[in-house]
Parts: sequence; C-alpha cells; structure tokens
Amino acid sequence: MATLHVLSHSPFGDGRFASCLRLLGEGDALLLCGDAVYALQPASTPYASLERLGASTPVYALAEDHAARGGGAPGAGVTLVDYAAFVELCCRYERVNSWL
Amino acid sequence: MARSMLIISRQAPWSGPAAREALDIALAGGAFELPLGLLFLDDGVFQLAGAQVPAAIEQKDVTANLQALPMFGVEALYACARSLAERGLDPTALSLPVELLGDDELRALINRYDQVITI
Amino acid sequence: MSELRVNQRPIALDADGYLVDLDDWSEAVAEALAEREGLALEAEHWEILHLLRGFYREYQLSPANRALVRYVAAQLGPDKGNSLHLNRLFKGSPAKLAARLAGLPKPTNCL
Repeated sequence: MATLHVLSHSPFGDGRFASCLRLLGEGDALLLCGDAVYALQPASTPYASLERLGASTPVYALAEDHAARGGGAPGAGVTLVDYAAFVELCCRYERVNSWL
Repeated sequence: MARSMLIISRQAPWSGPAAREALDIALAGGAFELPLGLLFLDDGVFQLAGAQVPAAIEQKDVTANLQALPMFGVEALYACARSLAERGLDPTALSLPVELLGDDELRALINRYDQVITI
Repeated sequence: MSELRVNQRPIALDADGYLVDLDDWSEAVAEALAEREGLALEAEHWEILHLLRGFYREYQLSPANRALVRYVAAQLGPDKGNSLHLNRLFKGSPAKLAARLAGLPKPTNCL
C-alpha cells in the first residue's frame, strides 16, 4: 500500500515539503531530486524534520543533483541513488506521488 | 477496470497555471470515465473560497468551472481540514460541497487510489 | 478563420467553425451554422441548444459528451439524456456539433 513521494522543489520555497512529510504514511518513502536535495543541508530546519522521520521512512536523494549543488556526504539514514535506482524505486512502490 | 487516480490540487487559483491544470486533468479524466478523486490541499483550498471576481484580472471563473465536476462524473471531492483552518476559511462557506479530512484520513485517502499526482 | 453572413451581417468563425465572439450568437446564426452542416433545426434540436447555453452560463465551459448526456438527463429526463438520442440529433458528435450551433467555445476535454 506504500507510496514513493518525489519532491523536486526547494524545501525553503513554500509548504510543499512540510505537507509532504505530514502525508507520509506507513511504509512510504521520500525521494529528493532537483532543488529538494537542499533539504539535506546539515543544521537546516528541513534536515532536522527529516531526522525526526526515523528509520521506518527511507529517504533517498538523486546523487547527481546532490553533487551538483555541492552536497557532501549525506547524513545518516539518507541513501544516494543514481537514475537506474530511481527507476527501480518507482517500480518497487505501489504508487508514485510527484509533488509538481 | 480503469485505474483510479487522486489529483491533489495545492496551488491558489490565480498564482499560475497549476490550479487550472489540476482541474483540466479532472475534467478530462471524468470525460474518459476514469474513477477520479480531487483533493484540495494547502493554498489549493483558496480555489473553494466564495465571492471571487476573476473577471477583475481577466481570468476564467474557477468557481463556476468547479461546479461542473459532478456533471463530468467527478464526485469524490475532498479538502484538507488543516489547510482550511490555517487560512481562516469557513468550511461551511465553500463554493463546492467537499468532504473535510484530517491528516490521518488524508493518508488513508492516498492509499485508496492506484495513482496519485500533486500539482 | 472563415465568415458567415447572417442578415447581411458578417459573423467571424474560427478554423473549426466556432464563433469567434460568443456574443454574435442568435437563433438566426444557429440556423445558418446548421445549414452549413446540412441540418435543419427542429424543436428537439432547439431544446438541446438552449440547454447547452444554460450549461455554459452556469459552468463557464463547454461539456464533453458524457457531461452533456448527464446534464440533459438531469434537466429533461433519461429519454432525452442519452447518447442515442443526442447522437441522432447531432450527427454522431453531439458535444462538438451542438456546442458549435449553440455558440459555445469548442469543448476542450473531448475526443
């Protein structure tokens, strides 16, 4: 019954990030790409929210978008993925919710 | 059996094309007899506010358009109770009859659909 | 873009034969448009055309086929609100043809 939520907008722009976290259900996962990888910025408010999700909610980030924005080693619990793994994730979950 | 889809509309009516796009997907899907749900979330609930005068900025009348949804077969209409409360919108004064859902109910709602898109 | 002349007055049509200015509509215009389609409008047609104009006033958009059927059924009952009846009246494409004759914009969510 689980959903993969895909975010691509900056978590500092509007309420998308907070709403998405609120709607995460049991077994759901989060995939950050584009400007959404800024949520991995250490010591930031969005990153603190991600840490509060706990181990039951996997967090993935697209490695090349993360590298392009100068992201270093991601925090514990965040998995960097390439495009092949991105596709694999989209197939693994029952549905994909793209937050356009 | 056609796959069901939940459309989550979370942009204000006049901030850009997003609200119109979500409505167009709903109307087109309804015309093709897809089982659809439409959820108003975040600023999307402003689409339901009464007394809008879109002609003042030369826009189409979203309130009138939304009333057509049931006629297009889209009858599963929902709004996020929290989004309404945060924005001071009176749930009894909305332009469309929607079912109000709390956060837990929203999570359950998403799980009921085969596909979901947030615009 | 083409033109229709009704009572010596030029009426602008778009490439698909819909009115450019919706305010140009009159019953005489509807008859002239129907004539181009080889259709003679009778009471049963007028009933639907007037209903469609009501739909547009209410919802500010043109219905696709399914919405048209539902609306006609709600207003006139299932004997008239069904695809068979509407297809027969409007040459098999009621949403498009009836919208054109009723002076509505082209339905966008329609095959």
